[in-house]
Amino acid sequence: MNTAINHLGVDDGTPSELQTMIADSVERLFAKEVTRELLERFDAGHGDDELWQRVVDIGLPGALVAEAAGGSGANWLDASPVLHAIGYWQAPVPLAETMLGAALLAHAGMEVPEGPITLIQAGRLGDLRLDPDSHRLAGRAINVPWARSCRWAVVADGDHLALVDLRQSAVTLAAGSNFADEERDTLVFGNADSQAIGRLQLAGLQEPVWHLGALMRACTLVGTLEAAVDKAVLYANERTQFGKPIGKQQVLQQYLAQMAGATGAARMAVQVALRSASELFDGTSGERSTLAFDIAVAKVCAGEAATLGASVAHQVHGAIGFTHEHTLHFATRRLWSWRDEFGSDAHWAKVLGQAAIAAGSEGFWAGLTDRSL
Amino acid sequence: MQALDIRPCRLDADAQALRTEVRAFLAQELKHYSPAERAKGLVGLVPEFTRKLGERGWLGMTWPKRYGGQERSALERYVVLEELLAAGAPVGAHWVAERQSGPLLIKFSPEVLAPQIVPGITRGETLLAIGMSEPDVGSDLAAVRTRAEKTEGGWIVNGSKVWTSGAHLAHYMITLLRTGPKEEGNRRAGLSQLLIDLKAKGVTVRPIYNMLGEHDFNEVFLENVFVPDDFVIGELGNGWQQVTAELALERSGPERYLSCTQLYLAMLDEADPQDSRHAVSLGRLAARYAALRQMSLGVAGMLARGENPAIPATVVKDQGALLEQAIPEVAHDLFGDQREPGSDLDQVMRFLTQSAPSFSLRGGTREILRGIIAGGLGLR
Repeated sequence: MNTAINHLGVDDGTPSELQTMIADSVERLFAKEVTRELLERFDAGHGDDELWQRVVDIGLPGALVAEAAGGSGANWLDASPVLHAIGYWQAPVPLAETMLGAALLAHAGMEVPEGPITLIQAGRLGDLRLDPDSHRLAGRAINVPWARSCRWAVVADGDHLALVDLRQSAVTLAAGSNFADEERDTLVFGNADSQAIGRLQLAGLQEPVWHLGALMRACTLVGTLEAAVDKAVLYANERTQFGKPIGKQQVLQQYLAQMAGATGAARMAVQVALRSASELFDGTSGERSTLAFDIAVAKVCAGEAATLGASVAHQVHGAIGFTHEHTLHFATRRLWSWRDEFGSDAHWAKVLGQAAIAAGSEGFWAGLTDRSL
Repeated sequence: MQALDIRPCRLDADAQALRTEVRAFLAQELKHYSPAERAKGLVGLVPEFTRKLGERGWLGMTWPKRYGGQERSALERYVVLEELLAAGAPVGAHWVAERQSGPLLIKFSPEVLAPQIVPGITRGETLLAIGMSEPDVGSDLAAVRTRAEKTEGGWIVNGSKVWTSGAHLAHYMITLLRTGPKEEGNRRAGLSQLLIDLKAKGVTVRPIYNMLGEHDFNEVFLENVFVPDDFVIGELGNGWQQVTAELALERSGPERYLSCTQLYLAMLDEADPQDSRHAVSLGRLAARYAALRQMSLGVAGMLARGENPAIPATVVKDQGALLEQAIPEVAHDLFGDQREPGSDLDQVMRFLTQSAPSFSLRGGTREILRGIIAGGLGLR
């Protein structure tokens, strides 16, 4: 209800023209190309070079790279429909990783190579370190996304950023996968060379690949959750038992409302973090970036929503959703995988919890309103 | 999912300055309030505190000046509300009037009732209660049986209302009742809203003590109460639409996720940062606080822009109650068997654990809210 005086609230979420354009083109591509057949072929071990080529054709890998450096010049909010769509359609390509890798290289003033790029935060998930003097890499990194499919890896260690050729003999690879059969490989670096070195200045992000990787996964999780809500609502309206659609049962309505609410909370947290990321990369954050806090919030909310959402989506679908034939598992296996990657919700909750305890009753509320915990 | 969508909304610099001012005021005013007193929040009824807010111009901030308002932005008002609640200020005396009754009167009776009643609300002197539920009518509001019969110059009202918060202190009650019959296929027809003077002849207010032994809500009996024609709010028969519009205001505010904040704060002071169990549990709650604050603020932005956020507001209330009810359970999990008797944590936990059941009942039960959300998702 509107009172007589109506000052406008500042709308912080209306999509830009560029965002709408990117959303339209990526939706059109994935809706057509990411079919059940493609996902089944992928699960059977056949990656799809053609899908990657299509993604390259419309310029998605360079979405976050400035136009001057050969990219589309989109900020994180503008480019976010790509991440969302990877989740919504469960597109099995190293696109999110390549977008982030390219964005970091370009931000560090380094040249962006052709082809898919993977990401490693030194010291997380293994003991890999980049020697700041010799620029050589030694140690192990586990769960490296799509490493087999990528010639290049971006490694962040402190404020150093290294571009590393994974085809060199000093790098060995052991294949692995997540629950969704996406490549998650173990790499061992035996004093390997880096092909280029840069310095990354992103104030407040101590571990840029770890943080921004978490944001990227939170964003794809929200896309997947929305797909799972849509599938479950469609199924509940179609499936008839006891003479009426099962969606008329209050208990199913309650489950789905709760899943949608948790998804909405994650979506909001992700949108807020995307705005902060845009500002940090544009240099318009003001005196202090809230991004580290916003990302922790987003990954906790997205991870918790994934846990609830996968469970509800399966319960609503009944036995058919547990079959290989049904497409639900393409979504839920990704929910169970991505909630773990780049820090699980428990990991990021611990970070937030330690900050909240340090702030105490005196400082918590101010830290929450400033988003500085 | 589109019907549930909330776009983020950001506060401008003016809002920041106001926040600093409100914090300074509250630091002074609440200096001697213990955590247990702060935990009362929405059920803390302290008319003197309400009048002080009125003196500051912090009641009805967005309303037109002709009614005593300040014509400030909805987001500035939001800042004042969230600061009051986070600090645990006793806001119960004016909350309902400021949140929904004032806007209702301004919108539906701008020339007659609003000029009479609303200036008193902005001064913190006039308190209102809401009469919706009845002894046999809870979630199914269209079934109300209190009725008004036409008489010379007004209406004669008979019936009773229940769970009416603050009716023992309030001057008026906005009452949903039947002025005409239901129609074939439309049970919501024939409902109207009347403003009833609680000092009028035939009104009896009886306390209902809650399970904590405290007196917040009441039963209100109406026996041949005369209500003048001028006290009809809006149009006769339009009561359902008016009440529905009010509920969007009732469901999305910061009071829908901040009710257990004093317990959360008390836990932070007791927690051991080296204990992962403490950090993870309290961190999960911190993340939900952050997300809900943005959602609630986003709905405030939608209201400010004149959009209808009925379904998003419902999501905020449902998710907010989940957070509020999770907090006493975390307190039980982390500190249940080892808190010092009589400590701040103990007192706050005692009160809020036993208050928590009401958080998913008041303002629409969880089941009703989720039915509305399911409708927004396209489940029929």
